[in-house]
Amino acid sequence: MTVTSPVAPAPLSMRRNFWRGVGRVLRRKPSRMAGVAIVVLFVFMGVFGPLLYPNPLPRDDNALYASPSWAHPFGTDFEGTDVLALVVTGTRYVLLAGLATAVITVALGTLIGLLAGFHRGRWDTVLMRLTDLQLTIPGLPLLLVLSTVWKFTSPIEMGVVLGLLGWGGIARAVRSQSLSLRERGFIEAAKGLGLPTRHIVVRELLPSMAPYIAMNMLIAVTGAIYAQVGLFFLGVLPFDANNWGVMLNLSVFGGGALSSTAALPYLLAPLLAILLLTLGIVLVVDAMDEIFNPRLREE
Amino acid sequence: MKTVVRRLSGHLARGLAMIWVVTTLSFVIIRNIPGDPVRGQYEKLIEQGMSPDQAERSTAALYGFLPTGSLWDQYTDYLNGLLHGDLGQSLSTPGTGVATLIGSAAKWTILPVLGGTLLSFLLGVTLGVYAAIKRSGKLGDALAISGSLLHGIPQYVIGLLVVAVFSTLWPILPAGGPVDIEFTPGFNGPYIASLIQHATLPVLTYALASYGGWILAMKSSVATVLGDDFIMAAELRGMSRGILFRYIARNAILPLFTILALSLGLLFGGAIFIESIFNYPGLGLLLVNSIGARDYALMGGTFLVLTVAIVVANIAADLLYAVIDPRVRKGAEA
Repeated sequence: MTVTSPVAPAPLSMRRNFWRGVGRVLRRKPSRMAGVAIVVLFVFMGVFGPLLYPNPLPRDDNALYASPSWAHPFGTDFEGTDVLALVVTGTRYVLLAGLATAVITVALGTLIGLLAGFHRGRWDTVLMRLTDLQLTIPGLPLLLVLSTVWKFTSPIEMGVVLGLLGWGGIARAVRSQSLSLRERGFIEAAKGLGLPTRHIVVRELLPSMAPYIAMNMLIAVTGAIYAQVGLFFLGVLPFDANNWGVMLNLSVFGGGALSSTAALPYLLAPLLAILLLTLGIVLVVDAMDEIFNPRLREE
Repeated sequence: MKTVVRRLSGHLARGLAMIWVVTTLSFVIIRNIPGDPVRGQYEKLIEQGMSPDQAERSTAALYGFLPTGSLWDQYTDYLNGLLHGDLGQSLSTPGTGVATLIGSAAKWTILPVLGGTLLSFLLGVTLGVYAAIKRSGKLGDALAISGSLLHGIPQYVIGLLVVAVFSTLWPILPAGGPVDIEFTPGFNGPYIASLIQHATLPVLTYALASYGGWILAMKSSVATVLGDDFIMAAELRGMSRGILFRYIARNAILPLFTILALSLGLLFGGAIFIESIFNYPGLGLLLVNSIGARDYALMGGTFLVLTVAIVVANIAADLLYAVIDPRVRKGAEA
């Protein structure tokens, strides 16, 4: 007891300092607060959005392509369904697929990067050749070709495929990080103490890379969102669920939103959602960059 | 010279390996499409009264591989065809070879991609130097933020917004197709004017979509060079700003040429969205349409060509770097 008590408060106060630092970073630039608020709003829409509206969404045959009004802030679509409701209920598919992609990308990328960077030698050569291959095969054309055999019905399935096609960047970054970290004193000390490799990798290497990986994960989420919305927009996937890409496709290729102004709000609403989410994530990444990179912090 | 050759052969080997992987992938995917279109075509021809031999030859000509026999035979036959430059026949445009279709689509991709990329490269690099030098000022900050935002927005969002603004809300430029059909193709004024008019918005979209990346890359490259000793030495010797600028720019731009070559290769794939939005008959639209029309020979061929573009761009980037960077060049000669 007497041995542990002086040690125990240290992580606690470190944690408190960390949150205080987060608060300070957010307060210094109000735009970062806005970023966090935007991301929280979208997560809320993804979790509770479909519960807020009846399923299926009500149609109003008297108001096809209605212009924006109080009842329909972004107008209605070709069936008279409220566009705002479509955007809100479509968030879940988009975010779920994005999250699934990010988890797989980060898990695979970190694992491969660590293996290559920490063990070096033959493992490194083989894994990096694999990474090069993954990075050079054109992703979007491959996705299009894959869509002929795979229907991507659930958002998780979509996420798995996008994740398997997108881990290369993180693997390379993690490898170069672990190459430089393994030469540092604390890793050498751990090796000198004869600690098992698993301990060194999980307890010593990973924590110092965690912020970096977390930031890459957020960026992977945006990439995944763009890719899947883009696939639905091109119309190569069957429309099972309602999501932003389906809306874009129907408004451009079905509703002629680009030739008449009547369908324009139907096109602009999902675009606005994508832009807003991008803005939110860019701002959050900016804040995280400063929280985890003390050299950027201006006192 | 020897090292250059060794480097080049290494790249070629890797590039060929990559092309092999992609062709194998297309083969596997096309063979696994539900309903087996190759077998279906073969059986349809037999039902129409063809002899099995004839039907097999006709199907093989259409898809580039055999409908019968073991998977291995089909695979080697497919590769053999590709090695002889035979990409098969298009289903959706009967009587036309896939290679011909790809050739005629390529020109609609290459020119706008080149124009847009060069435009954004020049703009982004110039502004990037400025953003790095004035990085603590208001304008530098604004430039960097504009770069990150544009870099973060997907191409199709930029494309759709460009069309919505310049073609729907404020109709000053056309947004559909490569040219107005009422003009006779050829080297005459109205036709060329119409071509340029139709190319303006796609080129603008390519430029906007890649401008952010350039400004960010140039900014960080200049920031690295600014910290180098030779810049401080030049400053201490009282060199004029013009010479200093040349010192900085020449060193900072080197890594960007590599990215330029790489991004030209990647942009062929990225053209998919922009060509779909503007209904521009390039390689990207060809790929999307071939999937819509279930024209698998055309799909495989286009995918292959897009991959080859990237492999070539990779090799070009590496060679270019050796040519323009005296350090690499000297190192290779020694």
